[in-house]
Amino acid sequence: MSSRITIDPITRLEGHGKIEIFLDDSGEVSAAYFQVPELRGFESFCVGRQAEEMPNITNRICGVCPEAHHLAAIKGVDQAYGVQCLPAARRVRELIYNAFFVTDHTTHFYCLGGPDFIVGPDAPPSERNILGVIRKVGLDIGQQVIDCRKRNHHLIKQLGGRGVHLCGALPGGWSVPVTREQQAEFRAYAEENVAFASFSLKIFEEIVLKDPVYRELVLSDLYLHETHSMGTVDENMASNFYDGKIRIVDTLGQEVALYEPNNYLDHIAERVEPWSYLKFPYLKKFGWHGFVDGQGSGIYQATPLARLNVSDRLSTPLAQAEFERFYDTFGVRGKGGGGRNLPVHHRLATHWARLIELLHAAERMVELLDHPEICDPNVRQAVEPKAGIGVGSVEAPRGTLTHHYETDVRGVLTKVNMIVGTTNNNAPISLSIMKAAKGLIHGGKVTEGILNRVEMAFRLYDPCCSCATHALGKAPLELSLRRKSDGALLDRISRG
Amino acid sequence: MSEVVIGLGSPFLSDDSIGPRVVRALTGRVMPGVRLVEAHAGGLLLLEELDGAERAILVDALVDERRKPGEVLLCGVDATTRNASCGHDCTLAEALVIGRTMGMNLPPDEAITLVAVVAEDVSTFSEQLTPAVEAALGKVCETVCGVLLGQADYHKTL
Repeated sequence: MSSRITIDPITRLEGHGKIEIFLDDSGEVSAAYFQVPELRGFESFCVGRQAEEMPNITNRICGVCPEAHHLAAIKGVDQAYGVQCLPAARRVRELIYNAFFVTDHTTHFYCLGGPDFIVGPDAPPSERNILGVIRKVGLDIGQQVIDCRKRNHHLIKQLGGRGVHLCGALPGGWSVPVTREQQAEFRAYAEENVAFASFSLKIFEEIVLKDPVYRELVLSDLYLHETHSMGTVDENMASNFYDGKIRIVDTLGQEVALYEPNNYLDHIAERVEPWSYLKFPYLKKFGWHGFVDGQGSGIYQATPLARLNVSDRLSTPLAQAEFERFYDTFGVRGKGGGGRNLPVHHRLATHWARLIELLHAAERMVELLDHPEICDPNVRQAVEPKAGIGVGSVEAPRGTLTHHYETDVRGVLTKVNMIVGTTNNNAPISLSIMKAAKGLIHGGKVTEGILNRVEMAFRLYDPCCSCATHALGKAPLELSLRRKSDGALLDRISRG
Repeated sequence: MSEVVIGLGSPFLSDDSIGPRVVRALTGRVMPGVRLVEAHAGGLLLLEELDGAERAILVDALVDERRKPGEVLLCGVDATTRNASCGHDCTLAEALVIGRTMGMNLPPDEAITLVAVVAEDVSTFSEQLTPAVEAALGKVCETVCGVLLGQADYHKTL
């Protein structure tokens, strides 16, 4: 019997993704694929428009990370128009961006990734969600999640014009400065964020790290992949979400590239596979050798875990302490070349890395709000459109996001390209699904618990398949077992 | 009564823009006090838009190959489109439970209506609706007004 298992749509994943698992005649997994829908005509939709429209177009492509697109877009416009962002405006941009990171990472941990640990990977789907987390940890945690989102969305709305799909970016600047009253208000928010992030790390320690079963799960071979890592770093080789150079370290933690974002084409190539609309980026230095990991493979990841792996340190004190504890726990702190940490390759550790980033973003907000010139009103400048090439890059919560624009003398776009965070992780996601499926599915037997453990292999990447799905219903998860020869339905598991 | 009309969808993905387009078309046509909102994501974000409303209408595109593009359906929270749920956090129904548990001032399920418009194309970047959905725009606006005036009951039309 040659069979095909389809998980479509994936629950708790932005957009309409689909997993397909192919079984051979003996019911063993022969292949597994992660697929996303095609959105058509983006370049032709954008070419011919004024470049400065892009921040307000691209931020509505995705309902999950509009802030990332908004800021990558305006950075691309800045560069194409040959203008340096004013220092005061840069601080506003970075403040908003870190507030966004706090909301996004909070949501992922408590609504998507965390339930697998807090409620349990074998719990029924009806329990394995934020409501289950509230029942397990207490009503107060739900209130804290809601409050965290509310205060940070309020900050984004005050400074960005809208709470979600903000519109504050201007070429070379920002539309409004931070007022003295706002500084005090937002400073209090940032302190609350730091406390909430510390509390979240405590929960992770108590519920995951101190539980031998979960600890074994995190350390198991099932969720282990040795790939290279990509992330943005500042001049001190510390992770920075808003700006810096792109650093890539190999599977042994050795730096293999450090480049300005506009040189990305010198380092990254894209593989096209006939079964997927989404391309598979890989490192040119190593080349494409198929869906394999290891030092010789060109496959890399761009995730919270990757961002820690490429960093020598974090720039804020509490996050730095957690960073050290993280690598100590895996026994690899300072064990790499030049005293660097060896990379952590256990993919479920990405959830922990995400919480460390949550703390880092919260602390960075405090730093920015304590800057003596945070209320500097000089956030706008006159900018003339011009011909140029601009590559804007930020670290989206789910990976390095790159916008590439080319303009004519009127500032009209002549070329547009984007590499989004999830695209960077397309190949490692497929690797992870394949490994989990092969390790868990035998003899054609699939249960709810097995299905969820396969899902966990990609949920940790926090992938965003972009935009909306529209079918009626509560986003059920359906697994179909089909005979490959004629597509006949042999079995089906559904939920939702 | 505090009422909100939420147009869900991306304004740049052809028929997915029907929600925002309806909200824009209703500007100035609904009673003062009816809040009009464009939203591009569901789940907890919708919760934040629903806070304080006693009645809510969501307008969204629906992909259903069994129906003709432009067809209009009314349904409730128990059968909302996946646009109304956010893959990054939770469904609208879950968000409502969370919000009520947290003491938010949310409309009851029976006061939330989804106006779903069958779409032909939601995956091509365009600011234009397909002809059948464009032709339905007026009817969708009338339907929303009818629900606001209490002249339509989704239980009878689902």
